[in-house]
Amino acid sequence: MPPTNVRKSAAALSASAAAFALLSGCAAESPSQPGSVSITVAGQPTQENPDQLKAFKRKITDFTKANPGITVTGDESVFDVNTFQALVAGGKLPTVSYVPFTEMQGIIARQQAADITGYVGADAAVKRINPSILKVATSPDNHVYGVPVQAYSMGLLYNRALFTKAGLDPDAPPKTWDEVRAAAKAIHAKTGAQGFGAMTKDNTGGWVLTTMSYAFGSKIQSDDGKQANINNAATRGALEFYRALRWDDDTFGSDFLIGYKDITNALAGGKVGMIVQGADTYTQVVQALGMKPDDFGLAPMPQAPGGLGTLGGGSVAIINPRASAEEIKAALKWIDFAEFGKYNDEQAAVTGAKAAAADKLPVGAPVLPLFDQATTDRYLTWVKDYVNVPREHFTAYFDSAKTLPLVPEPAAKAQETYGILDNVVQAVLTRRDADINALLDDAQKKVQSAIDAG
Amino acid sequence: MRWVRRGGLSTLIFFIPLLASFGLFSWWPILRSLLLSLQRTNFLTSEWVGLDNFARVLRDPLLLTATWNTLWFAILAFVIGFPVPVILAVFIGELRRARRLASALVYLPVIFPPVVAVLLWKAFFDPSPQGVFNTVLGWFDIGPVPWLNSGDLAMPSIVLQATWASFGTATIIYLATLMSIQTELYDAAEADGAAVSRRFWHITLPQMRGVLLVMFLLQVIGTFQVFTEPYIMTNGGPENRTVTILMLIYRYAFISGDYGRATALSVLLAIVLSALSAVYLWATRRWSTS
Repeated sequence: MPPTNVRKSAAALSASAAAFALLSGCAAESPSQPGSVSITVAGQPTQENPDQLKAFKRKITDFTKANPGITVTGDESVFDVNTFQALVAGGKLPTVSYVPFTEMQGIIARQQAADITGYVGADAAVKRINPSILKVATSPDNHVYGVPVQAYSMGLLYNRALFTKAGLDPDAPPKTWDEVRAAAKAIHAKTGAQGFGAMTKDNTGGWVLTTMSYAFGSKIQSDDGKQANINNAATRGALEFYRALRWDDDTFGSDFLIGYKDITNALAGGKVGMIVQGADTYTQVVQALGMKPDDFGLAPMPQAPGGLGTLGGGSVAIINPRASAEEIKAALKWIDFAEFGKYNDEQAAVTGAKAAAADKLPVGAPVLPLFDQATTDRYLTWVKDYVNVPREHFTAYFDSAKTLPLVPEPAAKAQETYGILDNVVQAVLTRRDADINALLDDAQKKVQSAIDAG
Repeated sequence: MRWVRRGGLSTLIFFIPLLASFGLFSWWPILRSLLLSLQRTNFLTSEWVGLDNFARVLRDPLLLTATWNTLWFAILAFVIGFPVPVILAVFIGELRRARRLASALVYLPVIFPPVVAVLLWKAFFDPSPQGVFNTVLGWFDIGPVPWLNSGDLAMPSIVLQATWASFGTATIIYLATLMSIQTELYDAAEADGAAVSRRFWHITLPQMRGVLLVMFLLQVIGTFQVFTEPYIMTNGGPENRTVTILMLIYRYAFISGDYGRATALSVLLAIVLSALSAVYLWATRRWSTS
């Protein structure tokens, strides 16, 4: 879930960045409907990025050459929580747009994306997507409302330069929460920087706390989304961990009204040693904030005994709910071409990676395999000459993706739950005498009544 | 035809652009939000739900918190923010040579774009010992003070910024009123040996009471709509201690995508503000004729 605007835009942008990276060359396929249909597709780069724009336009040309009945128009919109509803209301949502994982269940509940279940053929790429990833775009009654195009999992992000300065080995990041605590102490003592940090507002505090709860061993909601389970031992454990770092060790900093932009700035600027965040943050901190690629550290989400795994995130391509059947078909073809061509065609993969590297976009960023590992490995072999991300630093993260389970977000009222938990996190970090048990009891009641309200 | 000859037609023609622009950009949105408050909508299909949105708003425990916070903001803004421009205006009014410069300086903060000013103050309120205010307090061995990170201090801190941002306008208005007070009144009082405080109490304040009341009511209406400052500085935190009614509307609409509930609360707020406006109109009429 990327709850702030910036984060959401970043997620959608990075997905579309992956899309423009691909320059085509896909085998020509004759369109099933020679009649003409027009679609608009989000993610078109702005004029400020002429190379990426050129690449995007070329991709449209290649697509329309292969599908002469389809007219594609690029649209510069990127997902923004403040404008999404207005786009829907004004009928201006592009035929294809990209939204973060965390928004999907709300969009499905409000019926703001087209149901594509009936349009996905047996041989479609969607069918090969890892089921645990496809679940984010699937409704409780098993209808599919979008195509995940990029996925990542939450991990422990750290500043390798600060680790070195603090006398810690950046190639051996903490594996347990006790080790995280010890590393935070060392970083604070030796460098003066904040050892560990967490976001607290815009629903991000609750989002990260949910991830922490999974790592400490409990979900916060029943799988059917009917029962809140906020006050559990794991969440209490996670909050006790926060409390210890804040009030006992003083390694948690002093500002507890911070969001995604603040925490990524702090990580990139060497103001904080470790944060819990999505692995895709690499693109944001390296590309947008200028952090040295070699300073970006990424470790698997540490697990307490009985830990359940980690939370996943990413980007989903959705289709305008007002789209006609023909437009949906054309949009699905576009998504397949733009997002997945690189996994099937070596030339497409190489051309895309070459252009991306030339534009200084990350090639080989730490994301999760959308399909199976073999498909991802094959793609990486094709583009190995253009990989500009120090993937050797993320070996443990990549290895963990094979074993560490991806736990989905709460099925019902996720954003409201996160909002309520923001307050719990803020209380623990701003009040020394905060009663964790009472706070969680109160949150439990509020979340349950939000769920019951439907 | 008499109506046309008397200029009715030309009046109508001149009215049309006004009616059209008001209708399109003011009345239609107002009507639309009234309709939305009675619907559950995803903007594709809408369903009439009667007063259900209002019931859901009134059931939300956060409404009470937001209402109290908004009132607390209004009270603090009155206590901290209301006397400052009055005192400053009187002070500047007493200046002989530097009055223009002082007026310009006082008005300066108003020129700052609100978001820039709020972000600037957010940096001032940095809770670390290196924060601007905390550095100053540190010279006197005080602090560091958590400012926005403290549930008790967050709202007063926001009011401090809001006062700084808006006192310039009020000061200029008071100053203009002061300048219009007949100087003979002061001369006579001075001849009678009245001290500065007595002159202020018996001449300045009574002469300003009409403007003071208007400014007070405008401030109350303004404070009920406070959004930018808490949204940027705290986003309602810590622990919802700075969530205001407008922020709640924003959260319903843009975070939960629940436009029915957002418009229902907007309608409720509009009713309260209309009542306040009625008081305002009644009072200004009364005071201006007294």
